[in-house]
Amino acid sequence: MTFDLSTLFILGVAYLVMLFGIAFATEKGWIPQRITRHPIVYVLSLGVFASVWSYYAATGNAFRDGFGYLAPFIGISLAFLFSPVMLRPLLDITKSYQLSSLADLLAFRYRSPLAGTLTTIVMLIGVTPLLSLQIQAVANSVAILTPEASQTTLAIVFCVLITLFAIFFGTGRGAGREKHEGLVMAIAFESVVKLLAMLTIGWFAVYEGFGGFAELDAWLQTQPELLAGIKEPDAPGSFHVTAILFFTAAVATPHMFYMIFNENNDPKALTLASWALPLYFLLLSLPVFPVLWAGLKIGSSTPLEYYPVTLGIDHGSEIITLIGFLGGLSAASGLIIVITLALSNMCLNHLILPIYQPTARNDIYRWLLWKRRTLIAALIWIGFLFYYIPDDKLSVRAIGNVSYIASLQFLPSIVALLYWPRGNRNGFVAGLLIGVAIWFLFLMLPVATGTNLLAFSGINTREIIALSLVCNIALFIVVSLWTRTSAEERASADICALDTIRRRNRTGLIAKSPDDFIAKLAKPLGERTATREVLQAMRDLKIDKQEKRPHAMRLLRGRLEANLSGLLGPSISHDLIDRFLPYTIESEHGSTDVDVIESRIEAYRSNLSGMAEDLDNLRRYHRQVLLELPLGVCSLGEQNQIVMWNQTMEKLTGTPAQEVLGSQLNEIGEPWSSLIHDFTVGDTAHAHKRVVQVKNSRRFISLHKAIIEKSATHKIKQDGVVILLEDLTETELLEEELTHSERLASIGRLAAGVAHEIGNPITGIACLAQNIRDETDNDELRSMARQIIEQTDRTSRIVQSLVNFAHSGSNKLDHTSEIVTVEECIREAIALISLDKKRKEINYVINCKHGLQILGDSQRLLQIMVNLVNNAHDASPANSKITLASRLVSGSVQISVTDEGTGIPEAIRDRIFDPFFTTKEPGEGTGLGLSLVYSIVENLNGHIDIISASSRKENPGTRVILTFPCYDGSANATGTPPESH
Amino acid sequence: MYITRTTLLLLLFSYLLFLLSVDWMSQPDGAWYRPFIVGLLVIGVAAFCHREQSDDL
Repeated sequence: MTFDLSTLFILGVAYLVMLFGIAFATEKGWIPQRITRHPIVYVLSLGVFASVWSYYAATGNAFRDGFGYLAPFIGISLAFLFSPVMLRPLLDITKSYQLSSLADLLAFRYRSPLAGTLTTIVMLIGVTPLLSLQIQAVANSVAILTPEASQTTLAIVFCVLITLFAIFFGTGRGAGREKHEGLVMAIAFESVVKLLAMLTIGWFAVYEGFGGFAELDAWLQTQPELLAGIKEPDAPGSFHVTAILFFTAAVATPHMFYMIFNENNDPKALTLASWALPLYFLLLSLPVFPVLWAGLKIGSSTPLEYYPVTLGIDHGSEIITLIGFLGGLSAASGLIIVITLALSNMCLNHLILPIYQPTARNDIYRWLLWKRRTLIAALIWIGFLFYYIPDDKLSVRAIGNVSYIASLQFLPSIVALLYWPRGNRNGFVAGLLIGVAIWFLFLMLPVATGTNLLAFSGINTREIIALSLVCNIALFIVVSLWTRTSAEERASADICALDTIRRRNRTGLIAKSPDDFIAKLAKPLGERTATREVLQAMRDLKIDKQEKRPHAMRLLRGRLEANLSGLLGPSISHDLIDRFLPYTIESEHGSTDVDVIESRIEAYRSNLSGMAEDLDNLRRYHRQVLLELPLGVCSLGEQNQIVMWNQTMEKLTGTPAQEVLGSQLNEIGEPWSSLIHDFTVGDTAHAHKRVVQVKNSRRFISLHKAIIEKSATHKIKQDGVVILLEDLTETELLEEELTHSERLASIGRLAAGVAHEIGNPITGIACLAQNIRDETDNDELRSMARQIIEQTDRTSRIVQSLVNFAHSGSNKLDHTSEIVTVEECIREAIALISLDKKRKEINYVINCKHGLQILGDSQRLLQIMVNLVNNAHDASPANSKITLASRLVSGSVQISVTDEGTGIPEAIRDRIFDPFFTTKEPGEGTGLGLSLVYSIVENLNGHIDIISASSRKENPGTRVILTFPCYDGSANATGTPPESH
Repeated sequence: MYITRTTLLLLLFSYLLFLLSVDWMSQPDGAWYRPFIVGLLVIGVAAFCHREQSDDL
């Protein structure tokens, strides 16, 4: 069976156009985000690993190695099954520092542009054969289906389409850091096509090739040699070496690194991939044996590798043949697209930018975009040339081996990156060079030139792989231990290593604000790019443009470096930031931000166990004690930076901890800044009752401090000051109130004595005056006697007021305790006041809830009401309104007296309850009324408030609000409409 | 080195399962797909372990 070339061409182009369509629809948002961002899409996109090497070569490998063909799948599956060991920590690092390739990661960790360049070159050499392999596989499969077609033409058409796709959907809008959702969706679709194709062919092989599973088993029993072959163990170690090779490939191949780390939207998706991707590979590898056996049974004449395509031909099924072809096409195209994208980034960041950088006058984003696009095209066509030029087409297996073994040389440096901070750039370079040299001489050279050095050495491929790795590791360790590591590289190693806490410099920056950042970065990047980058970093950190805290500025610098790293690579970015945004003074190695340590430990908390967990619990307990201490705790580090600010401090100052942590003391605002600073620099360890004016109120604060001496541990030099702030305002107010009460009591005693001493003579004078009035006929004398009597009456009333005042707060037990109906009391008070007909006309409005009762003394309450209504009356203009209301509020009875008078000026509001304080004309008031009311209300367990009745400027009025505990029976009271008198 | 409890559990389970099943898988008269059953078991346990794995690493 053969196909027309046009049929295959149309099918191939239609498939690639469908890929375009899926990517385009995703980019345009036509496919809902809940689908495009679903973790399963990410998992399927990682299926890009299954290239033609897995799709086609698996059948050949299965024939030669039996179950050994599963080694690559097992290797990469182990990397995902144990993702918390390697992939997850690497994901955190790459996300935090915007590292898009292994070259970026190694250049960042080993602080060496050379590390990035070497990695890129090795990958380029190692991966180019893999690219050509994909092109070759597609061309070969077409050649099998249409023997008369020109393979080269087909390969060129395929490369053109793939180039266009990679350029359109892989380079985004230019910044190079954005996620390519369209690309991810398309690659995920390709993985689905691959899997469905393989499962369909497997099903076809079982049911069409054999007639069912039972028949397959029966056939197998007739092939003892074949059966023995698949279960025979490989040469010792062969399986393991291959598994390690592909375990490393999860990180050390450009396409896997790119898809795992660069296109990851959510860390949880990696958790899903930890088991879902191995499941995908298991399903993909399951049909390999049935396909192989079906091909063998029918005696297919094509190479074993192409059985997935030729099985349909051999059994006369066009549809299965085309499905097999499409599966191979999807495997090849997916890998080429992702690999060229990843390599283009690497080449740009580590080969081109270190030599040539765009000037600030250029539009950097556009410049980078076009360079990246050119590189993608160049890489695909280099792969094509690698396929096209050699006369003798190399076997699939040989090319695959060569490619992946190169990536194995990065295993020691990746492991050291996470678990051995002592490893340094010298060790890395030395180990990599020796490993790559062995690989190149004994594997790459024979494949590329046909010169077989193995004949001289007498060792096989497996031993070469092991040898290269052993030499790499040995040299890496020895050189790292013997050579010096720079402080910069040590800091970077600490960031990457899992068992160390990230240390951040505490030094200040030359740039003090976001505007400074833009100004400094405008020199190398141009103003437009600098502004865009700084604003992006600020958005990432959620800080505003007014931010000036050193802590925030350091974070901004770190974020900018990470973002620029995604744009220009870590080496250029680090160099640029170091040059244009330097620190003010040399950083002190080992100095540590406590809050950074804490946040880091918090992030790792669920991974702590044993003693580490106990210590963490202890730390949390002590921290909690400090945070919840009912005293304000403020801890200052170097350069007066605030490193602790507990909850009481937050309440006391009204400033949340997150706003001040990391700030310098002088940035927290007055009056706290001066108060704490003056105390810190002072000699005394304690300061008692410092008065602080906060808004309109005074606060009394006692301060205590403790100096933290330098720690003996060289890693943490945490010298600083701890300051405790004790808010004594309430105590002070209580003391003032006590003093006030004592003064009142003494006035009361004095008043009682005066009243007693004056009372008797006054009574005598009044009696004598009455005698004169009654016994004389002299009108003038009688008039004088009446005046004397009036004056003595008045004196008696004053004296009686004094006596009342003296007795009001002295003995609560004097009061009778009875149920008082509030409404009745209010009505009685108004009736009493109304008896005085000489007074001005006032309209009283009563708005009382029926049945409200309190427990107290009715006479006392009446006295309160008379006093308050009298005051309201005196303050009100004629014909105005006084409203008396009572209501139930939260289980308390609230009585209010509201007038429309002149109101009480703010200045005297604090003094109106003082005895003898009055605003009335001399002789009209004693100044004891409100003072008396206050005392009685207190004795009845009530509370009094005086507020302005309205916001009117003229005659705002006053509202006096009395609150008393409600007597239980009044809860069922009913409302009543207002009533006027 | 921080390795989660679930990762350790998975490692231990995979290793023990391998020891237990290696002979069973390679029996000449055994079904050819036995290694896939073992693989499926490991993946099942991994799914269980990763289900509870926190994402704060």
